[in-house]
Amino acid sequence: MRFSSAFSPRRAASCLALLALPLLLGGWTSGPQSTFDVKGPVAHTQLHVFYVTVWVTMIIFVIVAGVLAYATFKFKAKKNEPTRPADAHEGHGNPFVELGLIGASILALVFIAVPTLRAIWYTYDVPEAQRANAYEVNARGLQWWFQFEYPSEQIEGSGQLVTGNELVIPAGRPVRINLRTSDVIHSFWVPKLGGKVDMIPNRGNHLWLQADEPGYFWGQCAEFCGESHAVMRFRVIALAQDDFDAWVENQKKPARTVPAPAPDAPVAQFASYDVTPKKRNAPGYSAAFDKDPMAAWTALQFPEKDENAALVAKGRALFKEKNCITCHAVRGHEGLGVNAPDLTHFGSRTTVAAGLLENTKENLHRWIVHPNDVKPGNKMWVGVNGMAGYLDIDPATKRPTGKRHIDVNDEEGRALVEYLHSLK
Amino acid sequence: MEAALKSAAYTAPDAKPASRPWFFTRPAAKTGLVSWLTTVDHKKIGLLYAVTALFFFLVGGVEALMIRVQLAVPNNTFISHQLYNELFTMHATTMIFLAVMPLSAAFFNYMMPLQIGARDVAFPRLNGFAFWVFMAGAIILNVGWFTKAGAPDVGWFGYAPLTSNQYSQQFAGDVSTDLWIMGLQILGVSSVIGSLNFIVTIINMRAPGLTMMRLPVFTWMTLFTAFLIILSFPAITVALVELMMDRSFGTGFFEVAKGGMPILWQHLFWIFGHPEVYILILPAMGVVSEILPTFSRKPLFGYPIVVFSGAVIGFLGFGVWSHHMFTTGMGTVATAAFSLATMAIAVPTGVKIFNWVGTLWGGQIHTRTPMMFALGFIWMFMMGGFSGVMHSAAPADAQQQDSYFVVAHFHYVLIGGSIFALLAGIHYWFPLVFGRIVSEFWGKLSFWVIFVGFNVTFFPMHFLGLNGMPRRTAVYDGNMGWNSANLIATIGAFVLAIGIGIYFAVMVYTYFKGKKSAGDVWDARTLEWAVPTTPPPEHNFHITPTVHARDAFWYEKTHAKEIAAEKAKVAAETESHGGIHMPSQSWFPLITALGLLIGGLFFAHHNFKGAIAGGVILLIGVLGWAFEGPGGYHLHINKDGSVTGGEGQDEAKH
Repeated sequence: MRFSSAFSPRRAASCLALLALPLLLGGWTSGPQSTFDVKGPVAHTQLHVFYVTVWVTMIIFVIVAGVLAYATFKFKAKKNEPTRPADAHEGHGNPFVELGLIGASILALVFIAVPTLRAIWYTYDVPEAQRANAYEVNARGLQWWFQFEYPSEQIEGSGQLVTGNELVIPAGRPVRINLRTSDVIHSFWVPKLGGKVDMIPNRGNHLWLQADEPGYFWGQCAEFCGESHAVMRFRVIALAQDDFDAWVENQKKPARTVPAPAPDAPVAQFASYDVTPKKRNAPGYSAAFDKDPMAAWTALQFPEKDENAALVAKGRALFKEKNCITCHAVRGHEGLGVNAPDLTHFGSRTTVAAGLLENTKENLHRWIVHPNDVKPGNKMWVGVNGMAGYLDIDPATKRPTGKRHIDVNDEEGRALVEYLHSLK
Repeated sequence: MEAALKSAAYTAPDAKPASRPWFFTRPAAKTGLVSWLTTVDHKKIGLLYAVTALFFFLVGGVEALMIRVQLAVPNNTFISHQLYNELFTMHATTMIFLAVMPLSAAFFNYMMPLQIGARDVAFPRLNGFAFWVFMAGAIILNVGWFTKAGAPDVGWFGYAPLTSNQYSQQFAGDVSTDLWIMGLQILGVSSVIGSLNFIVTIINMRAPGLTMMRLPVFTWMTLFTAFLIILSFPAITVALVELMMDRSFGTGFFEVAKGGMPILWQHLFWIFGHPEVYILILPAMGVVSEILPTFSRKPLFGYPIVVFSGAVIGFLGFGVWSHHMFTTGMGTVATAAFSLATMAIAVPTGVKIFNWVGTLWGGQIHTRTPMMFALGFIWMFMMGGFSGVMHSAAPADAQQQDSYFVVAHFHYVLIGGSIFALLAGIHYWFPLVFGRIVSEFWGKLSFWVIFVGFNVTFFPMHFLGLNGMPRRTAVYDGNMGWNSANLIATIGAFVLAIGIGIYFAVMVYTYFKGKKSAGDVWDARTLEWAVPTTPPPEHNFHITPTVHARDAFWYEKTHAKEIAAEKAKVAAETESHGGIHMPSQSWFPLITALGLLIGGLFFAHHNFKGAIAGGVILLIGVLGWAFEGPGGYHLHINKDGSVTGGEGQDEAKH
């Protein structure tokens, strides 16, 4: 925050504008991806530059528009006024007026250019003084989800810690994010923490950001990346350092195994939730969750009380049987694949289908059983890197045959949901 | 449009030259389908451009409305993601390449030769060819709608590697991207040909006395735009050729697996794409610079500065392309350089606005409909300009890039700017082109509905973007704070559509039944209004005007006696040289373009035999064109003002 304090006189004005705008526009500037309601130094610096441009252009606008409006009314032809004689004296301009206005324009731009240049350098990389304290992660874009890698969290026998779609970071500390992609161009954007930087093939981009306080932040892919670009979303969860360390500790463990059911336990029962198919694009968020997303996140870190061990076991078997393991990794269990999100601790995440739906049983069921209605063209549906998806595709014509390669019915869906939710 | 010819006093030609083979006979029809297919008259070609552009303007508008319906409410299922992607790709491609550019081309074609006192453009057949090539490109771009694969869906910017074979097709056989490449490539051919023609025309065919610094500002802007086109289109041509090679022949320009560089595409695309922005706005600035003086009854304030600032915008326009790429991680120095260059371009743009305001100052402002649109242009363009300055500050742009803030910005410059000015131009020149004048009441009503609808649609989008809504997204969730702004924008879009509907309904009505007008209805200042009749005759001017001052027609009106004596002299001179020389019509521009259309369609489908067949037709067209000879005939203005002579009648007379 050292940097932004340099601007403190104008910050007061910025804060004033910040207060006035939501009042004027009734919440048009306060959404979960608002660039006004910023929570870190990078986004704050960018907002400050924006306010400078707003003030400078507003002042020019008021002057020029004022003159324009005045001239339009003042020199409006009167009804009975004789038309201007054709041979009236005709001026063609005034060089001093022109030069004066050009000079004034350049001066106005200097006001914008100075903070712009300072902010370009500041936002580009973690400031020198804080570099030692910075935490480094890799974010990788894929059609249509995000993979997050933690190079500083190595797990014996399986390399760095890998998660999907929810980036957990320490709060109050700069985070340097290396941006990579495995297919097309994506863009990493968490508006409250900072502007976007693209993930471009054959190019090593990065950005840095910092969440001043622990919090839950919405992010979204900002570069058109194909059919389901609109639903390629993610979350950033900032935790206090202790909580972050505890989270890393848990994430490094292999997948949790639910103790086998006792021989006299009742046979697998279907969990009670609604499985009636929903319309495509049906919303997957809830007001309760949005009210306190951090509480919801915390609750998800612990095993559920009413786990059905038999159903979990059935789900785990289905996970293998349905070939889920060829693309999804579940460290310590059967899953080995690398084409799809790592599900080792899936149950501890707040969302499914890349930040799209809240991670409830109902939503997860919908995603597993009807993936194409949730995210059209997704790779689980059409296959990826030579791995077949739900659709059966004729290898000769490379077109769908109309049959299913993988089919998950409601009963199987319930078991898979139970299994995945047990992976805390 | 036939009226344009019927009213001209001329004798229909009948005799045909005897000694030429049938396929080299120049068509002589002045009305009917053949006259349009074979025309070389810049005015007819201008009308062809205008009608096609307005058709595609409506197509692009319907695409926009479908997008707005889908976004009216969160989690909507009106259209699929796939169709949405096709719609925004084609909405942009259509509006830029098939609506605004050809509408500007329509004005260039129709007005520029009149403004410089010429009888036609320098290469009349080439002018026809440019139009038919444009048609071929437009058809290829849109033909996807009627195929199973659908229309192009990679965005109008077509960022690699989403355009590669691997990512652009879900399943095999999707040629929509190939159609997009071929369509754009062919449109580029048309634009470059047209532009070369305009440049040669403006430099060589100005009326006597019409020095460069006496040129009407619209003609200046035509010249700058033409230069921008011939200098910027090669970049996208190269990019498209490379992409076509990648897709058709397995090269690796943008293929990551083969070591290609996707970022290269962005540089090539925007080196074209940014000047393209000025290609869209400079003609609009030209139109406004004609209308403001006419209705302020005062010459343009700061003419030389307005002209030079147009040139400066053109130059700087080539040095700012990477401000479209502030988020691609260019590094600090490059980002800073492009940031500053972009700010610099605000200066000449601001200068133009100051001079327009200066033109109003001290004038006698008549707020007729064209003036209303022109004033609306200044207001809206100013707002779009200011949000543009906000983008130029790269750190702020990191939040705005690819958000709805950008969508708001460029619609303010493209609708509030280009479209408002072009609508002003249509209104302004309608009496000249059709000899009928549009009703003031309906014209003003359409202006206000368009103005209100436009602002209701696009102003809230600034806030959507700043509130984190990315563009090109087919759905959004209802908990993001974007619902009311989106709904308002959709309502605004329908108001805007109603306004456009009124505008065009009134134009169609006026064309058939509107009040007849004659001559210089606005008491205008430039030479296009000096034509002997409205609509102008085929040869434009009975007597080539001699120019003595800027605002040449105004000078003629104020120095009537001196001009009359001079005209008699010029008329005698022209007749002593054999009369007015006119270009002959020809089938070959159409045939040549047809070869491009057929070849392009086959090539996009990877059918190379068909592509070669198209090439053969093209070659036949070119050969026929070369060997049919230059043609041409003479017209003679008689003492009573009637016109004699025509295609094939020269031999009889001389």
